[in-house]
Formats: sequence, C-alpha cells, structure tokens
Amino acid sequence: MLFHDWLKDDSKIVLFDGGFGSELIKRGLEPGKVPDMLNIEKPDTIVEIHKSYYDAGSDMCQSNTFGSTPLNLRIHNLEERINEIVEKALGNIQKACPPGRLVVGDIGPTGEFRPPVGNASSEEWYSSFATQTKLLEKGVDLFHIETVSDLEEMLSAVRAVKEVSNKPIIASITYKKTKRGFFTIMGDSLEKCINTLENENVDVIGANCTLGSSEMLDLVKQAVNMTDIPISVKPNAGQPRIEGTKTYYDQPIEEFVRDIQEMINLGIKIVGGCCGTTPETISEIRKIIDLI
Amino acid sequence: MLLSHEKSYKDMVDSIVNLDEETAIELANKAINDKMNLMDVVEKGYAAGIRKVGELWEEGEYFLPELMRGAQIMQNCLDLLIPHLQEGSEGISRGKVVIATIEGDIHSIGKTIVGTMLRAYGFTVFDLGADIPAEKIVDFAIEKEVDVIGVSALLTTTMFGQKKIIEILKERNLLNRFKVILGGAPVTSSWVKECNADGFAENAIDAVKLVKSLLNK
Repeated sequence: MLFHDWLKDDSKIVLFDGGFGSELIKRGLEPGKVPDMLNIEKPDTIVEIHKSYYDAGSDMCQSNTFGSTPLNLRIHNLEERINEIVEKALGNIQKACPPGRLVVGDIGPTGEFRPPVGNASSEEWYSSFATQTKLLEKGVDLFHIETVSDLEEMLSAVRAVKEVSNKPIIASITYKKTKRGFFTIMGDSLEKCINTLENENVDVIGANCTLGSSEMLDLVKQAVNMTDIPISVKPNAGQPRIEGTKTYYDQPIEEFVRDIQEMINLGIKIVGGCCGTTPETISEIRKIIDLI
Repeated sequence: MLLSHEKSYKDMVDSIVNLDEETAIELANKAINDKMNLMDVVEKGYAAGIRKVGELWEEGEYFLPELMRGAQIMQNCLDLLIPHLQEGSEGISRGKVVIATIEGDIHSIGKTIVGTMLRAYGFTVFDLGADIPAEKIVDFAIEKEVDVIGVSALLTTTMFGQKKIIEILKERNLLNRFKVILGGAPVTSSWVKECNADGFAENAIDAVKLVKSLLNK
C-alpha cells in the first residue's frame, strides 16, 4: 500500500498539506462557524483549497473533517448532519486528489475534556471517534488524528480507529513549550506521549499546531532521540499577531522552510504546516525536498 | 495575633497550591469561627493561593487540571465565606453585575473567578456561563436591571461578540444604562476603545477595582 511504501523508502520525505482553517478565514469563513459545514455549503471552495495544496506539491492532503466527531458537532447542534458532512468532505477531497497522491482522513479533538477540566469519559471519546472513523473509512488512505492536547483522549482515538480500520494512523499531539520542556496543556510530557504511542503501535508519531517552526525544531531535536518510529510535524507559521479581530502570521516563508529543512536533516519523515501556512509554503518545501 | 493570621493566610495559600480541599475547607471554617477579617481571608488567603497556582502554570509546573482543581477548591471555600461576608448587610448589594463568556467561546475559568471575587466584595453577580449569544446577555441585563455587563472572550475569533453587545445596546438606545467591561487574554485597551466599552481588567482583583470605580463604590 502506497503509504507503507513511502514509510519504508528511506529516501522518501512525505509532504503533507498546510493550514486549512487559515485558508478558509482568508476566504471569508465567519467566526464561530464550523468549517466542516462548508463541505456542504461551499464545496467549490473546499475543492479549490485541497487542489491548491496538491498542485503546490503535497503528497497527501487531509479531508475537511477536523471538527466532525459527534461530540464536537453536538456542541454546535450539528450532530444529526454528520453523515452528510463527512460524505461531502470525502467527495470534495477525492475530486481534488490527483493519481499517485493520497487522501488523509482528518480527525480532530472532540473539544470535551476529562475531569476536572470537563466531564468527558474515555468511553464517550472512544464512541465518538469510532463513529467518525466508520464514516471516513472507505474514502481515505490513512488517518491523521491531530491537534489532540490530552494523551488520554489520543489513546481513545487510536484505539477507536484501530477497532474500525486497518489503515495507517498518524497520531499527532499538540504541545506547548514550557520552561521544563514540551508538554500538553493537560501535563503530558513529550517523552510520555512518545513512549505511550509507541506502545500503541501507531504507524507515525506526530506533533502539530501551537508551536512555530523554530520551537517545533527544538521539539524534534528531543523527539528523534526518543523513538525510531517515523515522525510527522506540522508547525504553525510562527506565533500569530492579533489586530482587532484579525489574526496575522508574519513569519517569512524562507524562515519556516529553513527550519523544516533542519528537521528533515534530523530525520523527520513527514513534514507540512498548520495554522498560517499556505500553498506557497508547501510549494517552497517541495522545492527543497526535490533537491534532496 | 498578627503572626498567627499571617500563618493562617500562608496555610490557606498552601492548601490551594497543594490542591488540598479538605484542609482548605477546614481553614475557611476556622476563619469564620475565629471571626477573622474575611475580606483579608479572601484576598490574602484564597485569592493569593489561586494567583500562586497561576504562577505555577506560567512556570510550566502546573497544567490545566491543576488550574481547574485549584479554581474549584477556591470557589468551594468562597461559597462558605461569602454568606458571612454579607452578614450585617443583608439585602444590600453594592451593585448588580451580569457576566458571561461570549458566544462560540467555552473558556470560563477567568470569568468564574471574577464572579467569585465580585461576590466576595459585595456585588450581586449573575453568571450566565459560556457560549452565550450577545442578544441573550443584553436581554438578561435589561430584565435584571443590572449595573454592569462583563463579557469574556479568549479567542480572536469570538472577540467580535464583545463589540456586538455594545452595538446592540446602541441600537436599543441603552448605551448610557449599563457599563460594559471586557475580559480575556486577547483584550487590549485599543480593543476596548474600538468597542466603546468602559474598560477591561487583566485579573479578578483588577476587575473588582474597575467595577467599584465605574459604580463609584
């Protein structure tokens, strides 16, 4: 299977896509609106963004289903539309995906925290992720469980996906940099996360969002010494600058790409971008990968 | 006497920092029984404790579970203390405040602590919770005839809701009837100016000072 071939090929650096939410905001996504609904309401826009990343050189792009767990949709009173949302999302990305490239099923966090922060249980998480995975399964080549800030929630997600599907999993956690190192906001250390995910036999261990590229590079310097499992990174384009209600990412692309190059040199297998990165970012990363 | 009070305050701070609810509650009850100055107990004991928890979060020692647990324990202690703070002034409120986190935003810890501190200082507080539409906050403020509307937003994508509140008040010719104050990490003085709000506070103690000054209390 193509993704497994890529993983086994030591010379292959896999290029993921860039920020999706930030691309939607540029195209007028209203604050507070669930981006996944645009699969139904503005399919042409969704196809266009997917296509822009494939055209820029992404080997694989993820479906616009970040928020499509039942638990998250319930918060927005959209749970009953989940089948329609995911079906349309898959249709949109499959329309954009050229031959020889892959479709990644995007699974974001549920938005529900465990006590004492919230009231979620592992069972609720598991059930929610299983439902979303069943809807995505036939239409994707692999899964990206991403931007999860609680190792317990990630475990529920990984186990739910494995229950439903044999397709590969990238398990990507979001970390913050503290004076003591990299941790999730729930207090899980980088080392604990990596060790735990190794034990779950995920195909790829990832880190995405929260960190800009230079902080992600610092994380990578630690992570590569903690595991031999392939690693995926999708940093943000630096830290956002807020002016009124608008958010700007000012980091020059060259700086971001330089950091990505260093991460590749350290052994990172899959690279891409998160908030604030664009098709142009991906295009520049494609250039450096092709030179390797 | 002074030394033992200082020790009591330190014990209260430690009980919050250590997330030791049993000790924290015990100390609160003791403070009541010993007829300590309960405003000092709130400020130098429990509020100081939660501020220390906040510092530990900044240092990367404490994380969200500790922050939430500390806030819960502090809230439980204040729930014990507040009825005694208002003794002798039953029915007399320094003013009415409605607080909420704006629509689309579920962050609530800061807002909840502000509500707790305002109650501790004698204000009647209506806490509508999180993810509340601007119209609902305004309707509630009108119905309860509050003096101050406090709105929290922690996301740049939800901040515009704070501006919406003032726009709704303007549409209904109610601008002069309420003071509107803003809270949340992305709020700045220039945002307050852009919204035509009456002020913002970066922490709960400053929020109390702001409300007191706006209402001349």
